[in-house]
Amino acid sequence: MSKPTLLLIDDEERILRSLRMLFMTNYNVRMTTDPHEAIRILREETVHVIISDQRMPVMQGSALLAIARETSPATMRILLTGYSDLEASIASVNEGEVFRYLMKPWAADEVRQVVAEATAIAEASFAVQLQAPAEPGKEEKKPRVLIMDNDEFISKTVSDILGDRCEIIWANTAQHAMEELAKQDISVVVSDLVLGDTNVGYILKTIKQLNPQTQCIVVTNFNDTSRLIDLINQAQISRYLPKPLNKNSLARNLDSMLARFHTLRSQPVLANRQTVAQISDPKEKLQSGNFMGMLGRLRARIGV
Amino acid sequence: MRFTDNDTFARDIHSLVNPIEAIAPDRPVSEVAELFLSPDYAKVLSLPVVENGRPIGVISRYRFMDLYLKQYARELHGRRPIRHYINDRPLLVELDQPLTEAALHIAEHMSFPLTEDFIITRHGKYLGLGYVMDLLKAMESQMRANSNELNQAYSRLKSSQLALVQSEKMASLGQMVAGIAHEINTPLGYVQNNVAVGQELFIHVKNMIAGYESLVDNLLNEQANEEEISAQMAQIAAMRQDLNAEEMLGDMQGLMVDSLYGIGQISELVMNLKNFSRMDAAATEAINLNDCIESALNIGRNVLRNKVEIIKELAELPKLTCTPSQLNQVFLNLFTNAAQAMETMGRLHICSWYDEHAVHVSVSDNGKGIPQENLVRIFDPFFTTKPVGEGTGLGLAISHQIIQQHGGEIHVESRLGVGTDFHISLPFAVGNAAENRQSTDFE
Repeated sequence: MSKPTLLLIDDEERILRSLRMLFMTNYNVRMTTDPHEAIRILREETVHVIISDQRMPVMQGSALLAIARETSPATMRILLTGYSDLEASIASVNEGEVFRYLMKPWAADEVRQVVAEATAIAEASFAVQLQAPAEPGKEEKKPRVLIMDNDEFISKTVSDILGDRCEIIWANTAQHAMEELAKQDISVVVSDLVLGDTNVGYILKTIKQLNPQTQCIVVTNFNDTSRLIDLINQAQISRYLPKPLNKNSLARNLDSMLARFHTLRSQPVLANRQTVAQISDPKEKLQSGNFMGMLGRLRARIGV
Repeated sequence: MRFTDNDTFARDIHSLVNPIEAIAPDRPVSEVAELFLSPDYAKVLSLPVVENGRPIGVISRYRFMDLYLKQYARELHGRRPIRHYINDRPLLVELDQPLTEAALHIAEHMSFPLTEDFIITRHGKYLGLGYVMDLLKAMESQMRANSNELNQAYSRLKSSQLALVQSEKMASLGQMVAGIAHEINTPLGYVQNNVAVGQELFIHVKNMIAGYESLVDNLLNEQANEEEISAQMAQIAAMRQDLNAEEMLGDMQGLMVDSLYGIGQISELVMNLKNFSRMDAAATEAINLNDCIESALNIGRNVLRNKVEIIKELAELPKLTCTPSQLNQVFLNLFTNAAQAMETMGRLHICSWYDEHAVHVSVSDNGKGIPQENLVRIFDPFFTTKPVGEGTGLGLAISHQIIQQHGGEIHVESRLGVGTDFHISLPFAVGNAAENRQSTDFE
């Protein structure tokens, strides 16, 4: 069996040579300093995993990965950067839809593990016919959208946008949110990072373990790059939108996330593309464990 | 002198009221004279004369002295009503009048020498007598309180200004350090990975050598078992299949060269930081100003790269005595401002030259320019056009002050849509300026 292909892009050749050495035994490694060359390779060859730098003179990594999304949707996208700036990390979520946001300097073992994981997922994706999802049937019940925000305004805005296409549930406490999530039929979550006085990071990070198809849109005015990077890797949030909210942008993103939920339901193997990394923060790990335990009990009670 | 009970905080007219019993206008002069002798009135200069609750005048001790100095005055005037002897234009103060206003009124109308107290009324009705000295005392304590407040406000302002200056320094330093830290991450990334990869390769190669050696040992051993030897050979062949050691070692050699280069890069970045901060150098030094420009460019590289093309025209300069760390800060501030003014890739033109008096540096960009109304305020502390949280508005104010401390000048010219020029001149004779440097606000 031929080796899977790994495509590396960085404007520093020494990074490319170094990574190539790490992967050459198990992968067919393609590398370039030129993003346009990378786009050509993506078009012409089967690339399982692409690892791109963020800051490059010709093109930002997040923009390259956005093109990769179009050109080769099955390819898994990873950003490897020395710069933890907010703009780049937001773009990597919203445009690049990256599988992982990794920092330089990296731990060789960790990157190897991430790439191995991504490769397995990419192989499964390539095997699936990427077909257009069927329109939701009439018999199907309305998608449920959960709003986790202190401010009812967000919930009202979502109701305005979606009208009666969806059932909107507004939760302004972590407890309420968890109870709704326990029912496992939430399509899209629109959430701030803080609910009451609870930091809901751990809830977002647990959602994919409950239901890999659920899509998370984070709407917040909270700007902490390292927390966002954690949410990319450990929660695979699909969108990160700033407050004050732009209604048009929310509407656009709600539509595409509802469509994606539908696709993933018909092709569950694709949900693996949003496999999350382990929660790194010990406190959040504990909270997530408790949440899962509570879910078990809730489900037994409501009989899901 | 008599004080009101709470003399330290006599903040209103209320506290000045002495409920002295008023006298009726029909009381005979001699009776009023007797009153002045009573210990109850020992401290009053004058007595209020009140008719139907309203004060109609005052009669003072002084007036009595005047009167009684004349011959037969007692006999002539003693039985007449006091009404005819009073000053019918007494000093009047309303109870709810502000202290300052009352004091002003009294100061304007009182007579010298001070012979009368003032009358305090409520809605025009007599309430009591006030002593001018009390009023003065109250005024003084109020002024003292005011000046304490002013002093406190001043020191709060001063310390918050210091905090802001500090935060501007920290903000620009933080931005710089973050930039450098990120820049270090790239060489650090491949150097670290190369070492990790090298370590793994090292283990493979070590195993391989061990395999070869035991094979060689067996080959040299005449009693060796043929089967064992062929097993060893198969094992070595398998290892060779897994790993092309020669090629890998060749690649690894290249990675070693890369690693040394990367370490060189890291050292250079650390050196730039050290040069910029000049922590280990004397504060004041004779240096070539071009070095400050280069140092600031090195540090700002991260912000400037991909934003501006830098064109340098630096003349050979004589040395100038200055505080290099401060001038580094000025140049970095000007360079990063210019980069931030660029909407697309721009040009930054840096020139240096000198004449008999001074060294000159100009920093010109072709950015969006600064509108006239902002240009006049550009060196004002706290003036900023950046969004809240992105600039303290102190960068150029501090730069301005640093240049002034060096006895130099900084000027700005700008045209909208064309660009902005900063011109700095630093005189060679800065002796006085350098000595005066300690007493500045921005230090």
